[in-house]
Amino acid sequence: MSKLKGVYTDIVKIRRMVFAELARLALKNTECEEFDKIPYRIIDTEEATYRSSIFKERAIVAARVRMGLGMNYETNQEHKLLSEGIRNFLKNDNQLKEPLVNVIRFACEKCPTNAHFVTDNCRKCLAHPCSIVCPVDAITIEEHAAVIDQEKCINCGKCKEACPYEAIVNYERPCAAACGVDAIENDEYNRAKINHDKCVSCGQCIIACPFGAIADKSMIFQLLKSIENGEDVRAIIAPSFVGQFGPLVSAGKIVAALKKLGIKEVREVSLGADFASLHEAELFAEDIPEKQSYLGTSCCPSWTYVAEKHVPEVKDNISESSSPMIFAAQSVKENSQNSKVVFIGPCVSKKLEALSARVKDEVDYVITFEELAAIFVAADIELTKIDAEEEMTDASYYGRAYANAGGVAEAIRQNLNEKYLLDPPVIKADGLAECKKTLIKAKAGILDGYLVEGMACEGGCVGGPGTLLATNRGAKYVNKFAEESPYKFAFENDKLGLEKNS
Amino acid sequence: MGGGEKLVKVEICAGSHCSLVGALNILETLEELQTEYPGQIQIEKVECMDMCDDIKNAPVIRVDDDLITSAQTQMVISKVMERIK
Repeated sequence: MSKLKGVYTDIVKIRRMVFAELARLALKNTECEEFDKIPYRIIDTEEATYRSSIFKERAIVAARVRMGLGMNYETNQEHKLLSEGIRNFLKNDNQLKEPLVNVIRFACEKCPTNAHFVTDNCRKCLAHPCSIVCPVDAITIEEHAAVIDQEKCINCGKCKEACPYEAIVNYERPCAAACGVDAIENDEYNRAKINHDKCVSCGQCIIACPFGAIADKSMIFQLLKSIENGEDVRAIIAPSFVGQFGPLVSAGKIVAALKKLGIKEVREVSLGADFASLHEAELFAEDIPEKQSYLGTSCCPSWTYVAEKHVPEVKDNISESSSPMIFAAQSVKENSQNSKVVFIGPCVSKKLEALSARVKDEVDYVITFEELAAIFVAADIELTKIDAEEEMTDASYYGRAYANAGGVAEAIRQNLNEKYLLDPPVIKADGLAECKKTLIKAKAGILDGYLVEGMACEGGCVGGPGTLLATNRGAKYVNKFAEESPYKFAFENDKLGLEKNS
Repeated sequence: MGGGEKLVKVEICAGSHCSLVGALNILETLEELQTEYPGQIQIEKVECMDMCDDIKNAPVIRVDDDLITSAQTQMVISKVMERIK
């Protein structure tokens, strides 16, 4: 997990201020020229604070504003006034398009790529084990210190381990180190460049970059305009939501706050998780191992993109079942056909899932908890002063526990135990790199007969880039809320409308 | 616990503004500090103190009678440590 996950930095602050500004402008009918002022409202100092120049700081904010609206990242080589671009965008289709995660190229500080360096700790010792253990003879002992020939070095790390003074460091680009599918490459200027053929839009690089040079797009503006225009907007909220809006803000108050914002109804995505876990248990019981060798879970979009883009041979073994998001959205639209559904979650890649041909009619908007927190501030909704406490009883214990790593497989396994008297072996891939490794194992036939869970974010959805809480804290809130559930198992959930004969 | 140790009272705003701009993270660090110095830090999460008309004032935190606006983790921790030692 990136060292920056869960740490509040000025990068986080600026990102959230941009969200709040976009929400503020969406909530009042405003001229596009107002957007030109956002960089000045956020960077309101006389001189630069963070970068070489204040103009650069503001230009980066402007790039964030564009992407925050869902617009594409612009070239650095053409003059484009923020407000003009926005006017055109809002007049035309106004839709977020791929690529979702982008490097703000002039914000990238061109960190050296993966390499071993000798630091000042080097004592130029007599033993110099570094040069002795090097398998490619890349280290020479020069006048003042050991020197690594970068042309020869293969980054095996043996010298680093051998040095008695901890004088050798492995220097990695934080964005590339956070990417479990090696999608971050270099452009011709040595800046980070996302290879979108490999990228699975998990969003971990956004959190990991210490210069704030990577951002995703958002639908904050589109969602709020839809509410402002009087459309019937209904929300489904992902199970990791509890606790994300502060220690005094219960689940019931979050629902009340969403209604205050103009959202007509709020359902737990865990309801969809109950649907999904039952459906996947049924698939498993029917097809494994006779028709299909093993079953991969369906809920994490980045996990399914890893299969599509990196290990396509296993794609058919990832459940065709819909994700909890889709099931939950369908349950809303069944009752209110003309409604628009917003998915609120911790997840960046759900934004992409919602654009796919299969899902775009079910889910209209996707926003993160972080974006929603900024919306509450812009709408002047003070969460601690909300008296109403709405009831939430949509899902079972195991459905609510979907948000933690291991929770998805556990829910399916419980259904298999209870309903089909099956107890299959389970493997849980926690984090993107693990997802890829696990799918490669599956391809090799090592996981036949297994139930295979994949979660791109370490710790599960509570570790998602759109959360406000540290991962372990989020996990505790999720467990507590799961224990308050009226049902233990998915098949006990009355709200699924199942026949009570199982 | 030796006698005479001072109890430091910290009020941390848990409102919408403050939670957005880092109060949750300050709370986390404070709670870690609390386990390192058991019985010496009392943390109270409070409702919005109505001081964030300008969001630049958030997060708002009170250490004993000292009000801190635009609080940052390091500022709060050193205020608390001053009083413990």
